[in-house]
Amino acid sequence: MSANYLVAQDLHKSFNEHKAVNGVSFTIRKREIFGLLGPNGAGKTTTIRMLSTVLEPDQGDVIIGGYSIKREAEEVRNLIGVCPQELALYVELGALDNLLFFGRMAGMSSQEAREQALAHLKLVGLEERAKGRIDKFSGGMKRRVNLAVALMGHPELLFLDEPTVGIDPQSRNNIYETIEGLRDKGMTILYTTHYMEEADRLCDRVAIMDGGQIIAMDTPHELKAQIGSPDRVTLEDVFLKQTGRSLRD
Amino acid sequence: MTKALQIALLQVRIYLQDRGDLGFSLLLPVVTFALMYFVFGGQTQFHATAHIVNEDPGGIYSEAFIEQLDALKELDIDLLSLDKADGKLERADLLMFVVIPEGFSDGLASGEPVELLFKQRGNGGQEQQIVAALVRSVADDISLGLQVQEQVIAALVDTDTTINQIETTVERLLADEQESPTVAVTEEAIGSSPDPVNQFLAGIITMYVLFAIILSARMLVEERHLGTLERLLTTRLSVGQLFAGKYIAGISRGFIQTVILMVLSYAVFQIFTPLSFMSSLLVALVYASAASALGLIIASVARTPDQATWMGVFFTMAMVMISGTFFPIEEGSVMEIISRFSVNTYANDAFRTLINEGGSLGDIGFEIGVLAGVIVVGLLLSRYLFKVMPGGR
Repeated sequence: MSANYLVAQDLHKSFNEHKAVNGVSFTIRKREIFGLLGPNGAGKTTTIRMLSTVLEPDQGDVIIGGYSIKREAEEVRNLIGVCPQELALYVELGALDNLLFFGRMAGMSSQEAREQALAHLKLVGLEERAKGRIDKFSGGMKRRVNLAVALMGHPELLFLDEPTVGIDPQSRNNIYETIEGLRDKGMTILYTTHYMEEADRLCDRVAIMDGGQIIAMDTPHELKAQIGSPDRVTLEDVFLKQTGRSLRD
Repeated sequence: MTKALQIALLQVRIYLQDRGDLGFSLLLPVVTFALMYFVFGGQTQFHATAHIVNEDPGGIYSEAFIEQLDALKELDIDLLSLDKADGKLERADLLMFVVIPEGFSDGLASGEPVELLFKQRGNGGQEQQIVAALVRSVADDISLGLQVQEQVIAALVDTDTTINQIETTVERLLADEQESPTVAVTEEAIGSSPDPVNQFLAGIITMYVLFAIILSARMLVEERHLGTLERLLTTRLSVGQLFAGKYIAGISRGFIQTVILMVLSYAVFQIFTPLSFMSSLLVALVYASAASALGLIIASVARTPDQATWMGVFFTMAMVMISGTFFPIEEGSVMEIISRFSVNTYANDAFRTLINEGGSLGDIGFEIGVLAGVIVVGLLLSRYLFKVMPGGR
């Protein structure tokens, strides 16, 4: 079994009186795809923001690759790549220009950034559209560029926050294959999604969050086995059993 | 610093590629400038219309009077009937007209005093007051000529000199006097002329720089919503570098716009000398720096792009209004004290000193000092308020 690459211990984060994350602890092993599932408002995005050093936890700490996000945030940022839920791109610019810019911000030389940008665009099937403006792209193409940007700098740990929202099956499949390929090359991935079949297919282990806490954590197979036969029960059944059926708007 | 410059460069690229934004920020000042050029017809001298009602048609002196008015390059003549002129005055289509009364020529020929009538709404307005002064000066010239002629005739009445000879000689002498006056006036120009283009250029520059900063503030808030700022913070970029990048981007944008306006003014109106142009560029850079810091404060406190826009518009209009950008503020008045709270006041004063008064950088040390103070305070405050996301870095 691989060593833990990420160790989150007793994370807390509140906004005014609202406890968005309330005592979250988990580990992610090297080369693992770890799924973080939960209904809207469960605290997934806040957790990712703390892990990616954008938000500082009120309490607790996270060790990534041996570095603390509280004390060694800069070193942590050298190890991570983030693909946010939003299409965080400069839509007035071309795909290649976006990758080049974020590459330079990640500390790469111009030449290095260009080489990586072209390689990543090829990886997500957009090498032919490298110079196309983002605002002319389809939703699926934008999502693929969003993922490609996160890969700039060859991160060891990749945070993917709902990377397949609102795209066609072809683009979704391309993203699945890309993620599996990255894992095979040694990347560790934290993945959040609302699509349970996606988590079932990709994730080695999943944690289900609700109300700012982790309420279940295991392999998809084990979680399904807890409520029935893994061949007949879906991860969605597990999710609904754990989080209930009330709406979370 | 390199990363901050790369961020600024990216913002400038986006600015230059966004047609709507570019259109608003560059085309609008150019259009404003073109309108100014159209309104003032490229002229830098006073020019107005004198509305005349001639109740003494065909009279020698009334016609001569109108001819002399028409000869003035500052005036166009608009001849009206009394009814029409009264109607226009009633509707405020015109603010003043001059009535040449019936019997004007006969009265003058017989040496009787005559009166011109100025009918006006209120004080007639600034422009028509100047027209009235020009009309009075022509009337005074005619009056003076006639008085001289009468006195010469009276003095020569017992000689063999004919009236015709006296009149011709007096007319020639008066014409000579007009051509080579005994008391001459020489104009010594210091700096460029205080024409309307010069008067308004400073205001247009400062106003559009503030508008540019609003757009920068809005873009920054939009970036916060889109998540690009958050994403940048997951790279090796520090908040300080990000802040510096956005600050430099704001300066660049305001400065690019100002340079375009100033180059246009230089080319079209020949407002600048090479030295005043270079000095004005420096003022523009300092002012854009101050405005960029203020734009960052707006971007830091606004929660939505629309909020940023409205806060910016309110701020801009307030600064423009109280600074006397487009209307003069009386010295020693309460408005003058209030105007000292507008950053535009100092930029306007600096530009006007350089452009209108032919001043040098040494003459605007105080204004530059105040703008530098605004930069320091604005940067400290905006850096304190600046957050990529609520509760975060």
